[in-house]
Amino acid sequence: MGDLIYLIILIGIGYSVGTMVEKRHYKRIEQREAELLCLPAVSAKNLLEEKPVGEARLVYGNAVISTDYFKSLLAGLRNLVGGEVSAFESLLDRARREAVLRMKAQARGADIILNLRIETCQITMTGSVEALAYGTAVYYKK
Amino acid sequence: MKFTPRAIKDNVNVSSSPPLKDFFKLTLKILGLILAVYILLGFAVDFIAPRISVNTELKLSKVFVRDLKKAERTQTELQLQRILEELVKKSQGLPAFSYKVFVEDSKNVNAIALPGGNIVVFSSLLKEVKSENELAMVLAHELGHFYRRDHLRGLGRSLVFLLISSALFGNNNPASKFLANAVTNAEMRFSQTQEKAADLYALELLNKTYGHVGGAVDFFERMTSKQKLWPIFYIFASHPYPKTRVNALKKAITTKGYASREKINFKYP
Repeated sequence: MGDLIYLIILIGIGYSVGTMVEKRHYKRIEQREAELLCLPAVSAKNLLEEKPVGEARLVYGNAVISTDYFKSLLAGLRNLVGGEVSAFESLLDRARREAVLRMKAQARGADIILNLRIETCQITMTGSVEALAYGTAVYYKK
Repeated sequence: MKFTPRAIKDNVNVSSSPPLKDFFKLTLKILGLILAVYILLGFAVDFIAPRISVNTELKLSKVFVRDLKKAERTQTELQLQRILEELVKKSQGLPAFSYKVFVEDSKNVNAIALPGGNIVVFSSLLKEVKSENELAMVLAHELGHFYRRDHLRGLGRSLVFLLISSALFGNNNPASKFLANAVTNAEMRFSQTQEKAADLYALELLNKTYGHVGGAVDFFERMTSKQKLWPIFYIFASHPYPKTRVNALKKAITTKGYASREKINFKYP
């Protein structure tokens, strides 16, 4: 009986707190994305418009987002029968977008970020995921 | 080419299906699967258990009694052993083990039959027992399990289930711990017929050994009156003592015309 209560508490905390944290994070992400919309980050390797370049440098941002107990359990169950692990989709989405936002924050004042790349790796022990976004920030000659 | 930045409107990378729905669907699916495998393997165990030879069981028993055998035998254990040997002498058709009884400290009011003719009586049970006859009844009940080889069956199912759940979730997962406990206990609930059969075996053996059945129902009756759980919770209780068991014993005593005489006192130090 004790084990069941323990399990339900873990799932309950995982679900309620996890959902709340995720909602808040998405709100912050959307707000900052709107603020930084004027700084484009593109995967193109070359400049989109012919303009003299004053400075170009590497910018990067990374974010580590952890799973919660509910998500891990759900993914574990999904593991048994196969199929889309939708539980982790939001986790990866948040990590990628947060990483891009941090990269943009590092590139304050730039006109465009070229050659944007996003890489992901998992941190196995804790069930966290890391996303690293990097690119070349270009500052036009003023 | 002019680049116009736009905000993301619909997030296609995250599924819109609610995770809770997903969770319940998956849980039901997997529980169904486990149940199916469990039932199938349960049948296999029921088939195999009565066919396990005495030698194989002795080998199996080494895993369970390694810890028990180390300790030096206490005075109480020797006393219990004498009662047990008396019972074994009068019994018929028991598998040819050298039967041993051990006392373990535990809050659980219970006794268990382990493979290889080993009986473990928990100290809390000894504190509840008032006469030697009651104790003999408990020991004879465990012998009844050996006679019918129930202990292997119960163990086999729990073993099979633990194997499945630890393969699926890992050993230390609270889910598999809970499921293992619930099923091990449910096993006892399912085997009410086995318990009753062991009770009747014990009653007959008690009568043969002592010449009467005084004290046979005392212990079980005391436990029934102490049990404050609702019947639904029996499934989680470590060892249920429902009234039906006591009644079945009383009925058997009347129909077989067993006598009831003076009991021998027993006090746990």
